[in-house]
Amino acid sequence: MALVAMTYYDTQEPEIFHTSRLQLNSTIGTVNTIFLIVSGFFMAVSVRYLKKDEVKKSSLFLKLTMLGGLLFLVLKTFEYSHKIEIGLTIGYNTFFTFYWLLTLFHVIHVIVGLVILISVHIGINKKKVITKIEDVEAGAAFWHMCDLIWLLLFPIIYLLF
Amino acid sequence: MRFDLAVTIPYNLFIVLKMKKLNITLSILILLTIIAAITSELEIKHAAFALIGFAIIKFIGVSFFFMDLRKAHAFWKVAMLIFLLIFTTSILLIG
Repeated sequence: MALVAMTYYDTQEPEIFHTSRLQLNSTIGTVNTIFLIVSGFFMAVSVRYLKKDEVKKSSLFLKLTMLGGLLFLVLKTFEYSHKIEIGLTIGYNTFFTFYWLLTLFHVIHVIVGLVILISVHIGINKKKVITKIEDVEAGAAFWHMCDLIWLLLFPIIYLLF
Repeated sequence: MRFDLAVTIPYNLFIVLKMKKLNITLSILILLTIIAAITSELEIKHAAFALIGFAIIKFIGVSFFFMDLRKAHAFWKVAMLIFLLIFTTSILLIG
């Protein structure tokens, strides 16, 4: 809904949206998209291994999944600090209000996803396993959901206007 | 320990390379992301259609192959496709 609203506001202030969009670094956005896609891929591999009862391999790919998420957060922090430095904060204009609200909301989900993955990782590595495959699949679904949201956010915020 | 990691990671990555469907999906997703980034830099007519189109293909790729939605009940597949249809139509009509 917010992305649809953002597109509507673009029709009201096309110049502001275009110049603001050009102030974003699309290379960072592209690299971040690749981080999340690769991370989602590792998550899928991890679930497949766990279904085959290969816990060690599953655990390794779960770590790689989390690494992808962490790299995403590192790059996002770099991007945010640069935006704040040059004064492009949440109240700068309508475009940046949407940019901050949508991307921060997504970042919060990524952080929550990482916490879930850490808990799943601890759960599957315990001697007395209490984490079921359904729990892992639920965590994976949340992680893929973060991926899916970003796949819609990225082209609209970084590339479209 | 160091030796273990040096052997384990490349070995497992090699096994992952054998997972055909996942690898093909990953390659397409990365390729589409790069093409979308390049498309936005070029001044092409109707670039918006292409960018949204790429996003939709990536969305379907992740949900069907990474999330294994293809094995889910038809209700979820249809629900996702309806969502995508409404989303795309809204963005393209308003924009």
